[in-house]
Amino acid sequence: MRISRYFLYIAILIILLTLPFYTGVYFLNVMDIILIYIALALSWDMLLRSGQISFGVAGLFGVGGYAAVLLNLNTGMNPLISIVMGGLAAGILAWLVGMAVLQLRGMYFAIVTLALAEIFRVIIRNLPDLTGGPEGTVLPSAIFAGNSTKTYWLAIAVAVVSVIASELFRRTRIHFALTSIRNDEIVAKSSGIDVFKYLVFIFVITSAIQGMTGGAYAHIYGFVSPEGSFSVDFTLLPIAMALLGGMHSTWGPVVGAVVLGVVSEFLKLQIPYGHLLVYGLIIVITILFFPQGILGTVGQRLKNRQRLRGSP
Amino acid sequence: MNVFSKLKQSNYQIAIVSVFLAIILASWKPHVLIEGIQRACLYAVIALPMALILGIVGIINLAHGEYMMLGAYFAYFLNVYTGMDPLLAVFPALLAFFLIGIVSYKAIIKYVLDAPELNQLLLTFGLAMVIEQLANLVWTSRPIKLPLKYVSSSATIGSFTFGTYEFIYVGGAMIVLIGLQLFLKRTNTGQAALAVGQNPRGAKLVGIHVDRTYLFIFSLSIALVGAIGAVFMTRHSIFPLVGAPFTMKSFCLIAMAGIGNLMGILWCSLILGLAENFVLSFRGYAGWADILFFALIVLVIMVRSHQRQVK
Repeated sequence: MRISRYFLYIAILIILLTLPFYTGVYFLNVMDIILIYIALALSWDMLLRSGQISFGVAGLFGVGGYAAVLLNLNTGMNPLISIVMGGLAAGILAWLVGMAVLQLRGMYFAIVTLALAEIFRVIIRNLPDLTGGPEGTVLPSAIFAGNSTKTYWLAIAVAVVSVIASELFRRTRIHFALTSIRNDEIVAKSSGIDVFKYLVFIFVITSAIQGMTGGAYAHIYGFVSPEGSFSVDFTLLPIAMALLGGMHSTWGPVVGAVVLGVVSEFLKLQIPYGHLLVYGLIIVITILFFPQGILGTVGQRLKNRQRLRGSP
Repeated sequence: MNVFSKLKQSNYQIAIVSVFLAIILASWKPHVLIEGIQRACLYAVIALPMALILGIVGIINLAHGEYMMLGAYFAYFLNVYTGMDPLLAVFPALLAFFLIGIVSYKAIIKYVLDAPELNQLLLTFGLAMVIEQLANLVWTSRPIKLPLKYVSSSATIGSFTFGTYEFIYVGGAMIVLIGLQLFLKRTNTGQAALAVGQNPRGAKLVGIHVDRTYLFIFSLSIALVGAIGAVFMTRHSIFPLVGAPFTMKSFCLIAMAGIGNLMGILWCSLILGLAENFVLSFRGYAGWADILFFALIVLVIMVRSHQRQVK
């Protein structure tokens, strides 16, 4: 059972890796976006598993992008290493913010992260010598000279890293620690879990993934700007995707990202100025009517049916 | 109690220090003092309804600024179609937004009252996005401003000239604060609301209609913030994203003052307003004023958590 499942994963990965050989450039671009959003949605959901909610995905995404682009531009660092450094920069920032703010949790943490994107945007706009100010910074050329096959593999690497991180967190002690913190903090504390340490740890890890994703995105498109890199898209879409697919799992956000990623390409053409409206509506409707998302609801149905069949 | 023992109390020490600072500020940069007070009262008057919802209904409404933005557009279109002055539009706005509040509560908020805090935050965040993007779609992101003559009125003392129209925020903040205090302390409904805020189950046991109280308080807050939007649009240009920063600043003030402390919001908004205008008064550094509230909220959270650990 277990071995066949690994074969399935490997088969999916091989199909994904070989896609460029029999599809067009436009399809690969759409896949890039979907893979980037898979990473963002998963990292957002990983933090949610501890019961903390972050509205700061766009902030850390943008910081990672800026760090990667500026390091590459100013020190001539290899773009791939600079993407990792972008993740590191976002992680360090998250550590600083987390040490200060995670002492009080719940809505305090949520609102502070809601402000993060806005704050980083203001800071970057006010440092024109370093960051290029309001106009942003353009790289001389995109990564791999814009080769769509290689950028696609880069996006796959980012998504796979986040999937592996998410699965690791689900299968180790960390999963139990985070789940018990989410369910009841006092119980978690009295069974010997260092709540604060675990929360800062998971916040730093998820932020590093978001920063790395931001770095990859910035290198794929070859530029960063205060409005583009900290756009509300990068907060709103991952949340809508993870919620729609199903919270607290690895495959829920992935399914949500694939569904909404395809839908968003269509929506951008239909309503170019208001497509974010749809994601807001998806969040509201999901929370109101099926808070467990697609996977959760379908899984529940299947379980119910099995129970009906199983009982004589 | 003689003067000296009073001086030892920390409240009086804070009062004396702040009066002292105000005098220094007034002689050094009078603009900062006047405009800071005006700005502070704008923040306070927006934060008060949010504090009311958070304190009694127990929901943090992340769509707060968006309702204010809707109020501003409401006053604008009332002016365009009927020629009504935006300041008079406060009264129809109160009525209209009370109804909008009822609809929002019945259709959406009611269902997450017992849900985990996470779901409430996500829901109101989604609601904020829906309102914001709907406004963006219908009215575009072009800033709108009405040409009103009376908003640029000013007064001169010696060589120092300042705008007087903005004192409307000071008046507004006083009316809302005193009105809310009277409502909560002197009326039956207000007392019931306070009781519900303290303990919904206990309130239910003594025969208070909890759901109806929630409905009334939520709608009242939405009505207030809609009316504030009408006043806001007389002086500032409006666009769909105009409300979002106020949501965060309002929460910052509530966190500083402590949930349920309406009077404290006024003092905290004075700190924020004066500090922002102080930074704005330095040429070349004005852009940094927007991150002050973030620094303040992080500072407050650190102090609070420290206090909690000491206890």
